Amino acid sequence: MRLSRKLRLLSAALAPMLALTACSGGSGGGGTGASANEQVKIKVWSWDGTVEGAVAGFQAANPNIKVEVVNAGSSQDEYKALDNAIQAGSGVPDLVMFEYFAVPYFAIPGKLADLGEFGAGKLQQDYVPAAWSDVTVGGKVYALPSDYGPSAMFYNEATLKKAGVDKPPATWDEYYEAAKKVRALGGDHYIAQDTGDIFFLLSLIWQAGGRPFKVDGTKVHIDFTDAGTTKAVAFWQKMLDEGLINTKITGWSDDWNRALNDGSLATQTMGGWLTSTLPERAPKASGDFKVALMPQWEPGTKVGAANGGSSFGIPAAAEHKEAAYKFLEYFAHGKGLSSRVEAGAFVPNLSVLDDKAFRDKESTYFGGQKVGAVLAEASEIVGSGWQYPPFFEWARSIYGDLASPFYTTGKGSLAEILEQWRQRCIQYGNEQGFEVS
Amino acid sequence: MAQARQPDAAARGPRKPRRPQAGLAFIAPFAALFALVFIVPILYAAYLSFFQDRLVGGTTFVGLDNYTKLVRDPQFWDGVARVARFTLVQVPIMLVLSMALALALDSMRLHGTKFLRVTIFLPYAVPAIVSTLMWGFLLGVKYGLFGSLNKALGTDFDPFSPGTTLISIGVMVTWAFTGFNMLIFYAALKAVPRELYEAAAIDGANELQVVRAIKLPALRGSLVVTVIFSIIGTFQMFNEPQILPSMVANSGVTTFYTPNLYAYNLAFTGSQQGYAAALALVMAAITIAVAYAVQIRGLRNASSGR
Repeated sequence: MRLSRKLRLLSAALAPMLALTACSGGSGGGGTGASANEQVKIKVWSWDGTVEGAVAGFQAANPNIKVEVVNAGSSQDEYKALDNAIQAGSGVPDLVMFEYFAVPYFAIPGKLADLGEFGAGKLQQDYVPAAWSDVTVGGKVYALPSDYGPSAMFYNEATLKKAGVDKPPATWDEYYEAAKKVRALGGDHYIAQDTGDIFFLLSLIWQAGGRPFKVDGTKVHIDFTDAGTTKAVAFWQKMLDEGLINTKITGWSDDWNRALNDGSLATQTMGGWLTSTLPERAPKASGDFKVALMPQWEPGTKVGAANGGSSFGIPAAAEHKEAAYKFLEYFAHGKGLSSRVEAGAFVPNLSVLDDKAFRDKESTYFGGQKVGAVLAEASEIVGSGWQYPPFFEWARSIYGDLASPFYTTGKGSLAEILEQWRQRCIQYGNEQGFEVS
Repeated sequence: MAQARQPDAAARGPRKPRRPQAGLAFIAPFAALFALVFIVPILYAAYLSFFQDRLVGGTTFVGLDNYTKLVRDPQFWDGVARVARFTLVQVPIMLVLSMALALALDSMRLHGTKFLRVTIFLPYAVPAIVSTLMWGFLLGVKYGLFGSLNKALGTDFDPFSPGTTLISIGVMVTWAFTGFNMLIFYAALKAVPRELYEAAAIDGANELQVVRAIKLPALRGSLVVTVIFSIIGTFQMFNEPQILPSMVANSGVTTFYTPNLYAYNLAFTGSQQGYAAALALVMAAITIAVAYAVQIRGLRNASSGR
């Protein structure tokens, strides 16, 4: 086993070649003939299981298109595989799943087809505006949104009650007061955990009106000193400084599951997708958790943010773009959408979010709450104009390196971390051929 | 006798000129595989290391730029220094432990040696990913063994804080590889001719003298081998630091914690394959240099004797 690590070292460097051979092997099966009435076979890369469920219905309606859905790994792994396939010029899939932040990464260097050519532009009014802007780069649509992660506050009602908080905090000021009460319960009771979750911090900034990343083609401007960003960062700094946040439990870990189960973490401000995993992770807390909008910065306002979500785009090098778009439209907008929603997908399509049946459905895990209605509202209030830098995948991977010393020793501050992060992003972005300032 | 040898020699005569070709045929399957999975990848890595991949502008030839950048990259040297420190502390501890166990098993004074041998070796068969998860749970301060210990003793010791994570990884690696190294030592001890012990017994040597005069010298050759294996292994540490961050908060494991992890992150999240390839080759060169130095030193000591 020791010696095999040596091979792994090499394979890190050699992955492109390995993937290249893997890809060329895979492309052999794909059909090549693409004349009008001939059978066309499209290859779809997706880690969203509900997409596969839409294939049968689509093929019944379009007998000359065959759809093959492949799970090419989730996010990072898939992006890598796609980059390799594009570089190799073979084995490029026809339709690919992307997290929203990855769309500019592929769109800016011209690796994605402009979906406007297929008439995607007219679908704009059918989606939550913020989701639509996530798939738009430089005024062109490069993907259709397929699922959404409006930020919402999941709260353990029982824990809050025990702490003397009778209704969920509606503003961040109330959240701060609630946090102190929860902490007063003693032991491991905290209002939330944070060990340097960049997606959470960005959702806080997003909601406060900060827009730290400005992307225009290959020009990227990064600034963590605008008013919204400063307000959000200062607030979270205060929460951390006063010891109101558990900095020992990391999200998605076993410790986290346990804390969710025993109710010692009172809230989770995360993407709406948490509804699908929370029941599995915290079965013992069934009936305790409820969902509310994110606490607001100003009383009486309703502004939200997003945390995650994904979309599907068509590589510029894909062979059957037309057929691929047909399928994409089918499951992300048309007739195939309802089956996916039934299978548990949370989509940013207004036709679904405004649907009475969707809004009125009571969830047993959430104590009979109409979760759909809350998340639909959370989706509709997501602040517009947010942008991710095209190299966000890399940027988020190194954020932990910079944040870790602060979270373990308390030395430094979030603002300093963000400034260091900005410097690293500028350096990396410029090396990668962008103009970053 | 002479008669019997005659046809033998006659048969060997005509075969002699064909021998090189026959040898090549035998070696061909191995050589082809070796070239395919070893030589070609290394050459390809070397080729890659002369290029820079950029998200905008594609791949360009940059000559030795990746190497000059690497030499000045503090993150790379941070990782190298970490594995070097780790090697200096963990390897001696592990090898002394394995040697002691091998000597104990070989002393023939223990009951159930077969069972012990397998048990001590068993951790080696556990995939590093599984063992990391296991140790993660065991050393976890919240619900793990250390959580209970801290509670019982009223202490606040965290095996996965930035200052202690490397020690914890050391414990994991020692656990996993002590058995493997023990087996190498044990095999060497088994190869010692029994007559030597008999002679020692006749000379009236006690057990300690037997160990010092016969067994330890017999282990010298395998010591060089195990040291080299261990250096290669620790210099390429990857699994443990790759998995730990998803289990424990802020363990101090960075994306450049070990050179291998750094290469992986450069290639897979930073899309800097060329730079990662340069790193891999430089790291391989460092590892080979260190291992070679150990080997030369080890062999010189072995030949000079005590």
